[in-house]
Amino acid sequence: MEYSKVTPAIVDELKAIFGERNVLTDPEKLEAYASDEAGKQWLHMPEVVVKAENEDQIVQLMKLANREHVPVTPRGAGSGLAGSCVPVYGGIVLSMEKMNRILEIDEVNMVAVCEPGVVTNDLCKAVADKGLFYAGYPMSVEESYIGANVVTNAGGAKVVKYGSTRSHVLGIECISATGEKLVLGGKRRKETSGYSLLQLMVGSEGTLAVVTKVIINLTVPPNMTVDLLVPFANFDDAVKASSNVIRTTKVYPITMEFMDIFSVKTTVEHLKLPAFPAQDQAAAYLLFTLEGKNQDELDELAEKAGTACLDMGALDVFVASTKTESDKLWTVRQQMPSVVLEKFPHMLAGDVVVPRSEVAEFIVKARDIMTKYPDLQLFFFGHIGDGNIHPNILDKESRSNQAWIEYSEKVYGELCMLGAQMGGTVSGEHGIGLGKKHVLSQALGEYPIALMRGIKEVFDPNGILNPGKIFDLK
Amino acid sequence: MRIAVLVKQVPSTDKVKMDEETGTMVRSAMDAELNPLDLYAVEEAVRAKEKTEETEITVISMGPPAAASAIKEAIAMGCDKGVLLSDKVFSGADTWATARTLSSAIEKIGPYDLIFAGERATDGETGQVGPSVAAQLDMPVLTYVSKIREVNGARIVVERAVEGGHEVVEASLPALVSVVKEINEPRIPTLKGKIRAKQTEVPVMTAQDVGLDAAHAGLLGSPTRVVKVFYPSLSRNGTIVDGRDPERAVNALVQFLKDKALV
Repeated sequence: MEYSKVTPAIVDELKAIFGERNVLTDPEKLEAYASDEAGKQWLHMPEVVVKAENEDQIVQLMKLANREHVPVTPRGAGSGLAGSCVPVYGGIVLSMEKMNRILEIDEVNMVAVCEPGVVTNDLCKAVADKGLFYAGYPMSVEESYIGANVVTNAGGAKVVKYGSTRSHVLGIECISATGEKLVLGGKRRKETSGYSLLQLMVGSEGTLAVVTKVIINLTVPPNMTVDLLVPFANFDDAVKASSNVIRTTKVYPITMEFMDIFSVKTTVEHLKLPAFPAQDQAAAYLLFTLEGKNQDELDELAEKAGTACLDMGALDVFVASTKTESDKLWTVRQQMPSVVLEKFPHMLAGDVVVPRSEVAEFIVKARDIMTKYPDLQLFFFGHIGDGNIHPNILDKESRSNQAWIEYSEKVYGELCMLGAQMGGTVSGEHGIGLGKKHVLSQALGEYPIALMRGIKEVFDPNGILNPGKIFDLK
Repeated sequence: MRIAVLVKQVPSTDKVKMDEETGTMVRSAMDAELNPLDLYAVEEAVRAKEKTEETEITVISMGPPAAASAIKEAIAMGCDKGVLLSDKVFSGADTWATARTLSSAIEKIGPYDLIFAGERATDGETGQVGPSVAAQLDMPVLTYVSKIREVNGARIVVERAVEGGHEVVEASLPALVSVVKEINEPRIPTLKGKIRAKQTEVPVMTAQDVGLDAAHAGLLGSPTRVVKVFYPSLSRNGTIVDGRDPERAVNALVQFLKDKALV
């Protein structure tokens, strides 16, 4: 795709739309909008950054961008891992950081109405103050924006019980790539009225429209919870236990996370945290959260699941029932992605998801594949309860950036194809963005991609909204 | 060796809510936990037990019947047994009356070679009960202990965190030791510990059991009263220096710092 450059005249027009203070052109300031959490491997400088304060500005922006044939890349907090918000063709980055108001917490309909730039954790806290609960919980909950959670269909630790962000979205208001306003869904809880454009927007990674308002489903909080940390001396025992505990005990967790010892020790050492329980004997851990109506029920569930783990080879079972104890465990799990990304600039954050029943075999086969590449290290942490185990690949040599991208994508492609053959897919929650584009078409085949491309053309005939993501435009 | 650990059940730190009108804490039984700073005392006691054979740890707490769960949390971490001092006449106790109740109980069920306490409770924030118990039992008190160097049958050597460094202090046993956070990293209880705690009965001692009359316990036995609890008023009248003219802005900032004698 060829695009026009942002000219001084366009910058002036942007200043007239957004106000001078909301238009950035200073290269030092632009750099903060050039990459995402995956780091500098996909670094593309925008030509200009605009910060929207209302939807009218976005309507005007999209009309201008179509007229001038300049690409627009919407951006949330930049905590993504697939390069979805990286302005790969330069042009205009549209930052949603100033549209950050919680407009309404409607206790009757049990929904929250938000602008897209609300930090998800702030939404969680605001609804908790009203005795309500937002069930989404991406690992980046303290940074990422709710609007971006919606357009990337963010997952996280609680998907095993509550589903991904898609399950919590009731309504979206957005401005299409051509500058038309769309109101999709609403506070209503049911809808069988034509194709669901609402669900089409969820996970579209900002390639079809710019979300300006979201209506989020709320529920009541879990009664009481307890976290179990279960170390295993044998890696495979931990993997097998993850599905067997649920199958044999029928104790269904809110979260079930897997962490190998490499991930745990790297995080604990990097953050200078106290030693993790049993870290000298463990090869891998399961960490899960159980919910109960009262203390007795919770104790019973913990005993049932914990005893099953011990029978399946666990070294011990640690029970965190207070916030202090729980925070000790979850800090390590939550900080893990950012620590490994910070520590290892050449790391591919894998995101394969397979059915829960296939996780153990997937890991065995993935490790088999990786024996061909002794210059790479494979390590795992992820949401094993929903089959979204992140197979991460680490460069043991110091390759150039470009060489690393090509090499890691080729190797990751093999893992993705393995996952796809086992009933899985290439990305459970990070999205496709730039990083997984090459494997999506391999895994899905040409026809589904052609349909997606057709949909893209309907919404965005000039291909100016977040181009180069999910699939290549033709 | 016989060890006692003094603990308190406090409102969970994430669930503390204040009644804006009365200025008192809104409590409900569900939202309570073992005082986080007592965890360090419990951990230190359990570590001492792991080092010294034939050591028994008793957890002692004064509180409502629900406070038994705080004692069980300590048992789950590795303490052997617990005693709950619970009686209507104990309610409303200040630090002196609390210490008197605790020390009366210790006189009944003791003696102990070593008594551990946390630095302070996260609700009352006084840090007085531990030292006061030691005073009433007439035993040495070692506060702000950040490391136990040595314990043998007759003496204890500890490091105390003091301003600007550490102090090494030796005391004879029995002694009371209140510990600071730096001393250890409290363990997370295991499932086996939790099951054992659940099965352990925590006996209750009343005022009569500890040999106190109502006049010396609870509100009646308290020489001090909380007269008022209020929020401190915050005033942050900041000054914004206009940065559009950097030179003027820097001069204005330098002048401000000089005026406040900060540079």
